[in-house]
Amino acid sequence: MTTHELAAHTETSTGIDTRKVGMWAFLSSEALFFGALITNYLLFKGRTLEGVHPRELLNIPFTSISSFVLLMSSLTMVLAHAALTRNDQKATRRWLLATAALGATFIGGQVFEFTTFYREGMTLSTNPASSSFFVLTGFHGAHVTVGVLLLLSLVAVSFRRKGLTFARGMNLELVGLYWHFVDIVWIVIFTVVYLIR
Amino acid sequence: MATADHAHPTPRQYVAIAGILVVLTAIEVSLYYLDIGGLNTFALIVLMLLKFTLVVAFYMHLRYESGFLRRLFAAGLAVAGTVYLIVLLAFLERGL
Repeated sequence: MTTHELAAHTETSTGIDTRKVGMWAFLSSEALFFGALITNYLLFKGRTLEGVHPRELLNIPFTSISSFVLLMSSLTMVLAHAALTRNDQKATRRWLLATAALGATFIGGQVFEFTTFYREGMTLSTNPASSSFFVLTGFHGAHVTVGVLLLLSLVAVSFRRKGLTFARGMNLELVGLYWHFVDIVWIVIFTVVYLIR
Repeated sequence: MATADHAHPTPRQYVAIAGILVVLTAIEVSLYYLDIGGLNTFALIVLMLLKFTLVVAFYMHLRYESGFLRRLFAAGLAVAGTVYLIVLLAFLERGL
């Protein structure tokens, strides 16, 4: 992309990169999406007619460690952003890979949790509380998985183009916004689903 | 050349914010086990909002962004909060 093309691409009526406006609008709509799922859980959590209730199986120490892992992935993500601001491509790749690894660890923890619940007799169709629990946390896990794929794609693009920039394509800043959003959704889920009795 | 649009926190500040987030999470988990009665839920929600705000303001850089982006995101949160609060209250009122 030439300097002229880049300037034409970034000059907008708001003065803000349209990709960034698009991402914030998307995240705003995602707040509505997860709000619906959280409300659904709150409505159904007290209505268990039969079977095992999520509250009986939640493993708070384990989930606390998962939460810590996801929080740390937000730190490594901003460190990747800071490294790219310095145009330190090697450090950018390293922090991106660390973020992807932490995200994958979180997903591994969720798979372990879901498997344990299944073995204990709580499935998607056991009761309304279990359904709403799996739908909420499952959709969040799907978002984290997409985030990990985006991070790995960024690393691949970085190798292919010999470095990333803030100017082109689905860049690090946009992926970072998505990743942090997934983190703040978990901050809410961890409190509402796991900690509030 | 990689360039960022705005001044952002330094790596050291990012690590300090992560430290605060970890401490807040530790307090949350402690509250779960301590169970201070009626204040428990209130305290947990306050801590949750603090963590949420820290990540959005500093890690998502919304503090350094234009008012337009801040309003755009706040609008989504406000609509979601209002709509789902009404839904919850409506269900509770009917005893469903």
